[in-house]
Formats: sequence, structure tokens, C-alpha cells
Amino acid sequence: MSVTLLKTHPLMPNGQVGRDVPRLESMAKVTGREDYTHNLRLPGMLHAKIVRSTVAHGRILSIHTEEAAAVPGVHSVVTCADIRTIIPEPYFGPAFHDQPILADGKVRYVGEAVCVVLSHDPHIADAAAQLVLVDYEELPAVYDEVEAATSNVYVHETLKPAGTFPDLKHLEGKRDTNVALDYRLIRGDAEAAFAQAAHVFEHDFTTQQVMHTPFEPMISVGEPTSTGLTIYTASQSPSFVRIEMARLLKWPENRIRVKTSHLGGGFGAKLYIKLEALAAALALYTGRPVRVALTMEEQFYTITKHATTFRIKSGVDTDGKVIARRCDVWWNGGAYADIGPRVTQKSGFTAAGPYDIDNVYLESVAVYTNRPPAGALRGFGIPQLVWAYESHTDLIARGIGMDPVEFRRKNILRDGRPHATGTVMKDAAIPEVLERTAERIGWDKAFDRGTGTIRRGRGIAIGFKASISPTTSVAIVNVSADGSVTLYSSTVDMGQGSDTAMAQIVAEVLNVPTEGVCVVRPDTDVTPYDMATLGSRSTFHMGNAVRLAAEDAKKKLDDLAAELGLPERSNIPVDQLFKKRYGMQAGNVIGIGSFIPTYKSPDHDTGLSDNVTPFWMIGATAVEIEVDTETGHVTVTRMVNVCDVGTPLNPKVVETQISGAAVMQYGFTMSEKMELDAGQVTNASLADYKIPSILDIPPLMESEAVVATQHSGPFGAKGVGESATFGVSPAIANAIEDAVGVRITSLPITPEAVYRAMRAAANQPLEDF
Amino acid sequence: MIPFQLAEPASFAEAVRLIDPEDPTCRAVSGGTAMMLMMKSGVFQPSKLVSLRKVEPEYAAFTVSSDGALQAGALVRLGQLERSEAVRAAFPVLADTFPVLSNVRVRNVATVGGNLAHADPHMDLPPVLMALGAHITATGPSGSRTIALTELFRGYYETALEPGELISGLSVPAQAGRRSAYVKCTTRSAHDWPALGVAVSLAVTGGTIQDARIVLSAAVETPTRMTDAEAALKGAPIGEEAFRAAGEAAAKAAEVTSDVRGSAPYKTQLVRVNVVRALRKALAAEGAV
Ligand SMILES: Cc1cc2nc3c(=O)[nH]c(=O)nc-3n(C[C@H](O)[C@H](O)[C@H](O)COP(=O)(O)OP(=O)(O)OC[C@H]3O[C@@H](n4cnc5c(N)ncnc54)[C@H](O)[C@@H]3O)c2cc1C
Repeated sequence: MSVTLLKTHPLMPNGQVGRDVPRLESMAKVTGREDYTHNLRLPGMLHAKIVRSTVAHGRILSIHTEEAAAVPGVHSVVTCADIRTIIPEPYFGPAFHDQPILADGKVRYVGEAVCVVLSHDPHIADAAAQLVLVDYEELPAVYDEVEAATSNVYVHETLKPAGTFPDLKHLEGKRDTNVALDYRLIRGDAEAAFAQAAHVFEHDFTTQQVMHTPFEPMISVGEPTSTGLTIYTASQSPSFVRIEMARLLKWPENRIRVKTSHLGGGFGAKLYIKLEALAAALALYTGRPVRVALTMEEQFYTITKHATTFRIKSGVDTDGKVIARRCDVWWNGGAYADIGPRVTQKSGFTAAGPYDIDNVYLESVAVYTNRPPAGALRGFGIPQLVWAYESHTDLIARGIGMDPVEFRRKNILRDGRPHATGTVMKDAAIPEVLERTAERIGWDKAFDRGTGTIRRGRGIAIGFKASISPTTSVAIVNVSADGSVTLYSSTVDMGQGSDTAMAQIVAEVLNVPTEGVCVVRPDTDVTPYDMATLGSRSTFHMGNAVRLAAEDAKKKLDDLAAELGLPERSNIPVDQLFKKRYGMQAGNVIGIGSFIPTYKSPDHDTGLSDNVTPFWMIGATAVEIEVDTETGHVTVTRMVNVCDVGTPLNPKVVETQISGAAVMQYGFTMSEKMELDAGQVTNASLADYKIPSILDIPPLMESEAVVATQHSGPFGAKGVGESATFGVSPAIANAIEDAVGVRITSLPITPEAVYRAMRAAANQPLEDF
Repeated sequence: MIPFQLAEPASFAEAVRLIDPEDPTCRAVSGGTAMMLMMKSGVFQPSKLVSLRKVEPEYAAFTVSSDGALQAGALVRLGQLERSEAVRAAFPVLADTFPVLSNVRVRNVATVGGNLAHADPHMDLPPVLMALGAHITATGPSGSRTIALTELFRGYYETALEPGELISGLSVPAQAGRRSAYVKCTTRSAHDWPALGVAVSLAVTGGTIQDARIVLSAAVETPTRMTDAEAALKGAPIGEEAFRAAGEAAAKAAEVTSDVRGSAPYKTQLVRVNVVRALRKALAAEGAV
């Protein structure tokens, strides 16, 4: 694989922001010294092994724990009834309080946690867990999102929205439905415009259920303490864990301490609350530290990415202008809502794409099914949407005989124009990203289309994303008496390089070397509140908070100098300033920064808002591919990813975020799929669920951040972690049609799917099985 | 993991003695690469493992004779063969196969005996060795016998070894100018198990194919010789027409099964195409493209 680097981006005056600072933690990671939660061992600690449901939907008639409990070395076998002695209402979740800590009389998916075996030895717990017998009365189950939306098989008896979100209030107590959120956007009059359109196109697209596959599987350790409880957890959202645990236990927040280490990947899997409630309840129940650690296989039963169905319809006038679009999106949320309803709405409102369309009608629904739950996964639903609308866009261009780039250019959403929600676009370099992508791939140049059994094609796609809003970040910058600087923030570095980027912001403001800034790991007793490390929000939100905190510290240092009668810009070293003030090496200067952007919630009836996001993320992909016409194998020979990330804080990290995001989505495009049989995942292991290896990656990968500024962001920056996921899937499907004239509408794009499509197109369909 | 006994005998004979033929939970372990996965996933729970690691060093040695025949002990690591100049020269197809067989960490640990005894039909080495005409030596309580690779594989994880019998060695005859090739066809990612493996070995004189061995794996229940396809090549002039006839014959005869790597009709098409490709690859030097 070769990766070409970004353009040169501006270096800020103090030489910290804009510099390719090597990641601060890399040395500890490559030398094996990094302190992961997995390495934690506490005195007297018990290991938990979860017994999981074998049926997709059923009432629990009885749980036979006696045999397991009798195994020598087993401490206890814990069921929901025991959890209730600690937490009377043991239901958690960020959007709905629908998920029991352990199954409460009912199971709703294969793999759901039913009970737990505890032992000082994980192998004993494991062996004993296999002796627990559970009797179920099986109930009919529903798996497909479209079917579930109108099915009379109900996954939950009533809806239980969390109450934290005003737009979910109307769902409280609703019965006989699997629809957990119905978002609607109405702009103009789509039906009337369809009637006037010269051409109308309608297509259906689907995506499959996939998994995050963090290489550090999920882990949480609960520890009872003299004042309450400490939870050590590989979490992307320590502040949320604390608040949610405080709610469950009816305790004040300050009795619960949540600590995280660096994470071995997260990608959205470790968000909100996952194993923490179980680890905490078990610790309080037994009075001992309890470690709940999943295997790689168990992660497939914990959180996944939504499978979707997207029906999209467009009306186009004689000039190739899209005048109307209707979008119907069904999100397969699985058995528990997790953050699915937010994905449905906050990503759902962009489903009509980065195009300037006057008449839009859009429905986006979150649907419960009897599958493993779905939540946030790198892109927060956007890749599923872009898959559909950019495949559709290409089909329209072909249908009206217009060049696909020209067609996009004609309809692209430009700064100063309103998005479908009514929010006027600002600092969104959509046209620039499109143009740079087309230019880099050489769209206007001649292209070798291959011969014989190898046919070549090109494809392009562009997508965009709003930032989940409104969310808060708080940061503290501490200048010690020797002038050394420490940053306290609850942003979790899970490999994306946030510690380095945040240190660069502090260093730029205080004019010190980034490498000398200490970044404290999130610890809710120590580091202040942050909503979560998700949705590429940290650079913007925490970055702004960190900048404010550093500026506050700088101002306090200046005030101190003035107080000591020093002339302005006297440039006295900081350690001497403290010495002068306190007579010795003593004291601190503490800077505080808190940031929340402005926001207006979409109107419930129309989905409209004139301030729907603090910033937009934009990403486009262009590919050159080869199709083996005898087998359907697709080889991506070159991939170009171009994003608007504002002004990069650290170009090298931006480059790896762009290529990393693209490779991840490439796996979701070509090979990854959770195979389900009656709700059971039949390939829940890395031997059978295939993520791309280094040998699968396009030999030529190019990444670029366009020259752009997010004026409201820290030093012009904004989020970068997801943007390169947007265009990958449809760019490849578009290139396949370009190469061999067939259209793939479902992910993943397997060689068999391509080969079958080619045979069908040649009127010689391959038999089914 | 449930506790089990581990024996590490110092001789092969002792290892044979320690294995109880009546007890299916008592088994040999060599590299342990496959064994550990079976134990971790709960597919196999041993009561006793007999490690062959410490048996006499000759079982971990191999020789290549001057005419190019290979004799290897069961404990020879795949990586040892991969790095041997003599093996590479005598069997270029092995040099070509090792790099796509798992990864360097596994190849440095996995052994010839463990590889052939495991009998997962997706494995890469069995079809290649079968095409090369190899056989193994099986050693049990009542002595040793040879088993041709064509006779060894009986089904999924099933071999012709008697209970209590171990693989002690591998012999691959000198190839005497035969041309061979292996094609590993994956459908999900490069490091996936193959959807189909095709190994071919051909004796050619002038422009004519005198004799052909064609072995399919992965798409079928056990590595299998495709006799109809072989017959189609016998006496045929090297060229696309003969290759295609062989591909068709193999596609017709192969008992292909559906799984997550592809449906049976699709994998049948893979057979049709990849038999041709393997033949082209083997005979590329002969002017076939
Ligand atoms: C990550 C990974 C990737 C892999 N990828 C591939 C791949 O791409 N292609 C491929 O072909 N293979 C692949 N494999 C499989 C690998 O080739 C086998 O695991 C290996 O060859 C087994 O050899 P071993 O010595 O480790 O056997 P062990 O694990 O020690 O034993 C395997 C089996 O053979 C039995 N056994 C061991 N020695 C003997 C003996 N001398 N006589 C009789 N029975 C014996 C054991 O009882 C056991 O049932 C992969 C394995 C791993 C772990």
C-alpha cells in the first residue's frame, strides 16, 4: 500500500498546531508499556462469565443455577433478581431505558445476557457457565427492519424513552409498536414536484449488519470503595457512565468514579453504557471487585452497526436539476435502542444528500427487531445513507445521459444555500471536495478500460454529516510552578490521536513544546465533564474547550505578571513568575474552558431547524477498479479520499484518520457481514467474519484534506475521524457499473453478487443454490 | 479452560504408548496452532494431550535427495521447509504456496504432522502434496505403514489414521520435471480460508500433456482428485482448448457445497475458471498463458 500525503497546511505562529507531531503515546504502545484496562488486576477480584440466551425471543420459565453454583471455585451465580437487590429498576440506555442489566423474565435476542457466573478463576467461571440451564417459552421473532415496522410481533411491550431527549417524549408508554423513533422532514412539496418532473427515478438499497471489531474487546471492572464505587472501563464516555450509574443507583454523581485508559479501538462500540452497569452491580452485590471482560466472539452479541433499507425517489427536470426527493429509511436497531434513535434522526435528516433540492420529503424510522442491538459505528449511520443516495445519484446521471460528476456539480449544495432542514450552509467545502476528488482521480482524462476478462471502471461518491448537537465539553489546563503544563480532559484517546491534538492546542496557546504537555487519562474524580468521544466531535468541542482553558491559563499568567508589577510582554520565564509570587517553587495556575455550541432542535412536525449543526463534515471517494468477469472478483487498484476537515491540527494524524476510516468502510463494503440464522450469528469469530487484511487494501491510497477553515473551530479545525467512510461503498458500486454495466444495491459487494449480477444481465442467471 | 493432563515424552515410541486409542479425548499435539483454537472455541476438550515437541530430534529434521525427493519428520515446521533452498528448488509450487498459507507466526510453529492430521478441507498444503504424489508414514502400537495422501483424507476433520496412530513422517517423490501449480481462491479477504483450492501437477513432453493430476480442495468435503478432468488432459496438446475441457470436466464432477464463502453454483463456476488458471500457471514456462 502506498499512501500519498496531504497538501502542506499552515503552521500556526508558535509552531505547535499544524505540525506533524508524532503521537505522544506511540512509544509506550509499541514497547508494550501502555496501561490498558485489560491489564488491571485488583486484590480479591472475581471474574464474571455471562450465560447468554440461545433463543431470539422468549419468556424465561426458569434458570437452573444449582449445578454451576456447586462447581468448586464458583463464588455465585447471579440473575436479574439478585441485581434488583442493588438496582431496583435495572434498565439502562442512552435514548431509551429499555435494556435490562440481565434478562428480566424475557429475552429479545440470541446472545442476550441472562445470568452471570462469578469465580476467582476465569476458567472456572467459563466452565461453570456452561452448566447453567435456562428454560424458555419461545415467542415468534422478527428480524427484518421493514417487516418489523408493521409486524404484530412486538419486541417490547411499551416504549420507555429516557426523558433526556424532548423529541422522544411523545413515545413514552406507547404500546404495540416496534418503531422507536419516527423522524420526518418536510420541505416544499415533493409530491407536486414529482408530478412536474421530466424524469422520476426510484431505487431500493440495503446494508448489512456488521460489527466494530475493536481489537481490545470490551472490559469493565467494578470495585466497591469506602465512599461508593469505582468503575475501571474501556469506555468512550466516562462522564455518561457516571451519570447513568448515578441514576440507576440513585446516588449523587460524586460517589461514583469512572476511570479509563487508552482504548484498543472503540469505533462507537464502547459508547454510553455497555458492561459498566453489570460490573458495578456485581461489585456492589458481592462486595468485591468484579471484572467483566468479553471475548472477541462475545462482542458480536453486544453492539453492532445498523442494517438498513433505504427507498429513495427523485424527480429531475429537463436540465438535470433534481427538483424533488423522497427518502424512506428503516434502521434495524436490534433488540435494544442504544443510541439508534439518535442515529435515525441526527443522521437521518441528511438522507437527501449534499444537494440543493427544493422539495424534500423524508422519513427515517428506528425499528426494534430480535437481533443483537445496533448503535453508533464510525459514521453514525451516514455511510448507510451515502451508500443509497450516491448509488442513486449515479443511476440518475446514467439514466439522463449526463456525466456523473457534471450531474453532481449541477446539484451540489453550496455555502450560503439552505440544506433540506433549512440550515444555511457555512464552512462546508462540498464543491471543493467534489472538484479535488475528480481532479485527483483524473476524471476528465482518458482511462484504460481493460480487455478480455479484466474490465476496468471508475466511480466517485460524496457524502456529508452533521455533528450531533448540542453537546458540552469542559477542560482544565494546569500550569505548575516549574512551568510544566498538564491538561485534564475526559476525551478518550482510543487510537485517533486526540491526546496529541489536544496537547498541540495547549502548546500553541501557551507557547511550549507539545511533547512536554502531560495529558491526564479520563477519571471522573479528576477530569471534568465531556459528553463523549463520538461522532468526530472532540476536535471541535473539546478542542474549543481546551483552547479556552489554555487561554484562561495564559490570561491568569499575564495577570500574575501584572500583579507582580512586571511590564507587559516582559517574557519572564514562568517558573520565575511563580518563585517571585510564592517565594519558592509552589502554586498553580488553573485555566478552565467550557464549550457548548448553539443549536435549534428540529421542529417535531416538519423536521426543520435553521441551526441544526455546529459544523459539517464532508468526504468524497473516487476509485479505479478491475472486475474479473469470470469470477466477479473486484480489485480496487486505486482509491482517493478527499475530506473537508477544516484546517488540520496535525496533518499526519489527519492522514491516518482519513486512510483508516476508508479502510474500515472498505471492509464493510467488500467482505464484512454478520450472518444470521434464526437470529443466531453464525460467524461470530474473526475466523469466519472477515475484516480486510493488509493484502486486501488498495495498492494505491491517496488522502487529501482540502484547504478549508472551520471558522468556529479551534484554529480552524473540525472533526476528521469519520469523513472518509462516507463515499467508499457507493464509489465502488458506481465503478462496477462503469466497468461491467451491472448495479449492486446490497452490501457487501461479494464476488458472487457481482458475478450473479453479470450473469443475470446476460440473461443467463446462475441457479440459486 | 478446563484442566487436562499434558505429557511431554522424550521419544516417539513413548508418545505412541501414551495415547489411549480407546479415549477420543486423549490426543497428540504438535505445533498446537489448530489444537489451541479447537480448545478455546470449546470444539474439543482434552482429558490428556501428548505433546510431540520433545521427541527425538530426527523427527524435526528433513532431507532432500540429490534427485529432489523430500523426506521429512512429522515435527518439521512449515517454516523450515519454506526457508529451505533445496525444497524451493525441488518443489517450486511449495515455495509459492507457503506465503499464502496463514502467516509467518503460524508457519514457524505449525508442523507437517499436525497440518496433515488436522484434515480441515480448507487447508492449503494437502491438495498440493496430493498433486505431488506424496505419502505419509503412520506409526501406531502395531508398527508403521505408509498411506498415500490420496487415501489419507476421509471427511471433515477425518483421516484414515487408526485410533492411536500418529503421523511420523512425510515423503514427497522427486518430480522428475513435472510442472505444478496451486491457486488459492478466496472470496472475502486475502487471509480467509479459500473458497476453493486447485493444485495441479503435469508431466509434459514437447507440447503434449502426458499425465495430469488435478486436486480440488475447500469447495469439496475433502481434497479430491478430479479424474475426469485429468483424463481430458491426457495426451492433449498444451493449450486453452485442453485447459477448458479440463475445467468443464472438473466443474461437472466436483461435489461442491454451499457455505458463507459462496453458493454451490458459484463455487462450481470458480472450479471451472480456476482449474484453467492453475493449468496456465503450471505451464506458463511452456508457453501457455
Ligand atoms: C491464525 C491461523 C491461520 C491459519 N491459516 C491457514 C491457512 O491460510 N491455510 C492453511 O492451510 N492452514 C491455515 N491454518 C491452519 C494451520 O495450517 C494448522 O493449524 C497447522 O498446520 C496445524 O499444525 P500444528 O502442528 O500446529 O497442529 P496441532 O494444532 O498440534 O494439531 C492439529 C491436529 O492434529 C493432531 N496431530 C498433531 N500432530 C499429529 C501427529 N504427528 N500425528 C497425528 N495427529 C497429530 C492433533 O491431535 C490435532 O487434532 C491457520 C491456523 C491459524 C492458527
